Amino acid sequence: MLRPHPARWADSAVRVRRVLTAAVATAAMLVAAGCTPGSSSDDSGSSGTAFEFWSFTGINQKVDVERYKKKHPDAQIKLTEVGSTSETAQALTAALAGGKVPDLVLIQGDDLPKFMQSPENFVDLNTLGADKIKNDYLDWVIKQPTTDDGKIIGIPTDVGGLAVAYRTDLFKAAGLPTDRTQVSDSWKTWDDFLEVGKKYTAATGKKFLDNVPTSVFFQAVNQGATRYYDNSTHKMVYDTNPEVKAAFDLTLKAGEAKIAAKQETFSAAWTAGMAKGDFAVTSAPSWMLNAIKTNAPTTEGKWDIARIPGSAGNWGGSFLAIPQRAKNPQAAWKYITEMQSPAGQLENFLAKGNLPTTPSVYSDPKLLAQTDPFFSNAPIGKIYTESAKAIKPFYIGLNDATIGTELLNTLTSVEQGKVPPTEAWDTALTNVKNALRG
Amino acid sequence: MTALTLTLNPVTPPGATGRQTANRRILQSMRERLAPYAYIAPFFLLFAVFGLFPLLFTFYVALFDWDPIGEHRYVGLQNFRVLMDDPRFWGAMRNTFSIWVLSTVPQLLVALGIAHLLNNVRLRAATFFRMVVLVPYVTSVAATTIVFAQLFDRDYGLLNWFLELLGFQHIEFTASVWGSHLMIAAMVAWRWTGYNTLLYLASLQAVPRELYEAASVDGANGWQQFRRISIPALRPIIVFTVVTSTIGGLQIFTEALLANPSGGLSCGAARQCQTLTLFLYEQAFGRFHFGYGAAVGVALFVIVVIVSTINYLLATRIRWERP
Repeated sequence: MLRPHPARWADSAVRVRRVLTAAVATAAMLVAAGCTPGSSSDDSGSSGTAFEFWSFTGINQKVDVERYKKKHPDAQIKLTEVGSTSETAQALTAALAGGKVPDLVLIQGDDLPKFMQSPENFVDLNTLGADKIKNDYLDWVIKQPTTDDGKIIGIPTDVGGLAVAYRTDLFKAAGLPTDRTQVSDSWKTWDDFLEVGKKYTAATGKKFLDNVPTSVFFQAVNQGATRYYDNSTHKMVYDTNPEVKAAFDLTLKAGEAKIAAKQETFSAAWTAGMAKGDFAVTSAPSWMLNAIKTNAPTTEGKWDIARIPGSAGNWGGSFLAIPQRAKNPQAAWKYITEMQSPAGQLENFLAKGNLPTTPSVYSDPKLLAQTDPFFSNAPIGKIYTESAKAIKPFYIGLNDATIGTELLNTLTSVEQGKVPPTEAWDTALTNVKNALRG
Repeated sequence: MTALTLTLNPVTPPGATGRQTANRRILQSMRERLAPYAYIAPFFLLFAVFGLFPLLFTFYVALFDWDPIGEHRYVGLQNFRVLMDDPRFWGAMRNTFSIWVLSTVPQLLVALGIAHLLNNVRLRAATFFRMVVLVPYVTSVAATTIVFAQLFDRDYGLLNWFLELLGFQHIEFTASVWGSHLMIAAMVAWRWTGYNTLLYLASLQAVPRELYEAASVDGANGWQQFRRISIPALRPIIVFTVVTSTIGGLQIFTEALLANPSGGLSCGAARQCQTLTLFLYEQAFGRFHFGYGAAVGVALFVIVVIVSTINYLLATRIRWERP
């Protein structure tokens, strides 16, 4: 349910909204500076079932809210799709600093560490009963919103198992196998993947992949056992961790293979290129399926899903939290417990494809039987849960989002021909250091 | 003020003493002294709340490591020391000045030219043209930017389509420093040229026709009339537009934010078109380093003051030149 590069999301409505968010955030800061924090007056009728919910755009949160309303006709939910994942986090920060806070808010995994710095801004969900349901969730996921002294400030809504989406029609035209098992077997490793890409490009003269920074680096780096922080000491190791360097070098190698259309994920050109078939393969964490459907509806039935090269990994996932100053935490908590229970998450998966964080439903026959006609009836339940079960969780720290952005940006500069590949790693480290200092 | 009050308070006639009269006189004089301040107070109160206070508060915040939802730690001038040594800041400075020059200079020159043309008495449908030049100004910046960004797109943009038609290679405007600056400068110029044209035109209309007529009789051609009559007459308004477009140009934000949408808050992977205000926004609202963001704000304030002073001094040097 998360967007890889939140700030990279780009349809025009979102772009307009970004400006509005900026304005709102600034206005909220003025309020924060001028007024006493916490002086929000109660203006809603505050009936027992009314609450305000902030979510991201592009993930169709409306569907969930409608489903809840159907079961509880008396529930009054005011849903606001604030903007991209990071814009939502920005607006939340401004609100926590002294504005009007929502009763319920969705926080994306990479933004969570920032809010974990000051857990006093959120309701400790244990007080509402989270301690009784915490064992329903994947151990390594529920750990992320849990403080050292055991407070829980968020309930996980989904994880992002990894996979690759490919166009069967274009593969066929290139003389490549189209069956998903055969395709998966043809790229057991990333090196195999690059070989398939070269074959495709040689046969068709067209590009194989949308881009390398997002589709190769962001997958490969999420497959490691350690990412930018050491799992036990919680110290930053992005510059010494051989797994990060290996993913980085792999990306440079993929760039040199010249198989990418160089269209940045979620850019307008990426959307256009996807609809036009300018590339045949894109990375597809579970939440990406929705994005492909919305961005290229005309390609229905032409896609299929194969295993990711290399090992399993996780990219993304989000959490629902209740701010401390929420007016109606009870109603928000009721929504969480119902929608994010194992049964609720299963229903959500069947409706929208978000991978549950509750392992008890992974063997549910309904989940395993789930196929998606948009992706040639691929058994998405089976593919993504297999990937999720094999995940080796790594520690995500405060600066993870910043480090990831700087590494990705440097690789994009290499792709654009502005940084020579030989200097890429040093440039990337310098950029990260500068960003961490400011 | 004093002079005014004196004329309103005639000298006390001799003999008319007494506590009451004296009191009333003092009250009267106080009221008259204070009334003007009350009249102008609304502006100053609003300015104090929305102008002065945020300004001073920014200076204050700049001295802290300020987490909006966490701790505020006093760090003295540390933010400024880091800033002076931050290549991202100097890069943003370069981008800001480059975009400012690329947009302001052609914009004001073209506006002058168009104003001169629109001022022609023989122009038909003058009101229509005067309206038309203002259309870009009333269009939303966000909408303009999105359209321009699509025009300049590498794979599917109209500009590159033309280049291809003419046999050239596609140019990736957003990826290069000059390309992205050119693109943003074009957006800014497109939006503000009409506005400046109208300012110049209004000023030109106030120039007596006789001057031009006399000049034609003397054999001055169009260029000479423009150079020797129009420009000197426009001096005050030129100073005004130069100063305002400088302040505006150094604070370009929306265009840079939306020009390279996939570039996030850095306007591209290599921060190739990140302006100072966008850098400020990235630090304060993207990464929640309010203290560092405020330090960028203070630096921007100092830069605007310096540059405005310089170009005020330069612009006031345009004088009447005798034929």
